[in-house]
Amino acid sequence: MKNVSSFILLAALVALGVWLWFVLSPSPERIIRQRLTKLARTASFSSGEGNLARLAAAEDIAGYFATNVEVDINVPGRVQHTLMGRAEIQQAALGARERLRGLTVKFPDINITVAPDKQSAVADLTIVVNIAGDRDSVVQEMKFTFQKTDDGWLIARVETVRTLSSAILHFALRRAPFIVPA
Amino acid sequence: MVIGRNPKVTLIRAAVLAVLCILGYHFNTLRGIRVEGISMLPTYQDSSAHFVSAVPYWWHEPQRGDAISIRMAGVHEMYLKRIIALPGETVAFANGRVLINGEVLDEPYEKLPCDWNLPPEKLGPNEYFVVGDNRSMPPENHTFGKAERDHIVGEVIR
Repeated sequence: MKNVSSFILLAALVALGVWLWFVLSPSPERIIRQRLTKLARTASFSSGEGNLARLAAAEDIAGYFATNVEVDINVPGRVQHTLMGRAEIQQAALGARERLRGLTVKFPDINITVAPDKQSAVADLTIVVNIAGDRDSVVQEMKFTFQKTDDGWLIARVETVRTLSSAILHFALRRAPFIVPA
Repeated sequence: MVIGRNPKVTLIRAAVLAVLCILGYHFNTLRGIRVEGISMLPTYQDSSAHFVSAVPYWWHEPQRGDAISIRMAGVHEMYLKRIIALPGETVAFANGRVLINGEVLDEPYEKLPCDWNLPPEKLGPNEYFVVGDNRSMPPENHTFGKAERDHIVGEVIR
């Protein structure tokens, strides 16, 4: 009986040790996943936000990106937009918060590949955006490239992924320009 | 709590059921989906609920005419489309009709008017051409194109 109790205690201690190790030294993948979750939460907002809160949120969002970040968003029929640098991100975030009544951002699927040198990583993810008042969501596969910096893992590049690629679709898009400013 | 006459047998049954549920989820044996949007009208209505199963594709490759789900980064958000062309084929649109290797494709599921005219495109060895049943909107407002085999999650079951 005493042996069984000792074994259970030992197993519990080992489990606690493993749990503490994971909590205290999270893997890059875990850190990036957490940052993306926080980014989605920060980017989401509802109506009734004050000016100071808007400014703070926009600054907070920009903090997730590298200073020389390049964002290239191209959702056929919805949005085509390129942003260069953290200042433009902040401006776009502020503009969206001023213009829209509310926004919900979610990343329901995230696949992270960390480079062997652990200095960069790529997150292939699905983004779901719901704009308040719009019935349909915008759903898009995207690629976020992260870089490890002194300030932690920052987003260095954002680009859209064409899940369904087609030269025919490109032909259709060229034929009928419909670009909508973001 | 009711655990049966023989708790050991009940425990084994529960464990087997749990393993089957986990395997079923992992291998997309049966997955519930809810349609959002009008691109598959009139076959699949907006907000209707259906099931997707990978089981049919354990025995054979996806077929022309199959309504399938295509994953993005994962399976929580997927496209629901119909396969109109198979690997190696050439697909085009002329006056709203689909041409496969130059031959008109009979599409009983397409009931809404379509006037698309799009040039031929040859598919690679691992590519399927997918499109929605509702092509009444201009092509630039409709999501369609080539899907890689490994992005096809399963067939939609009514």
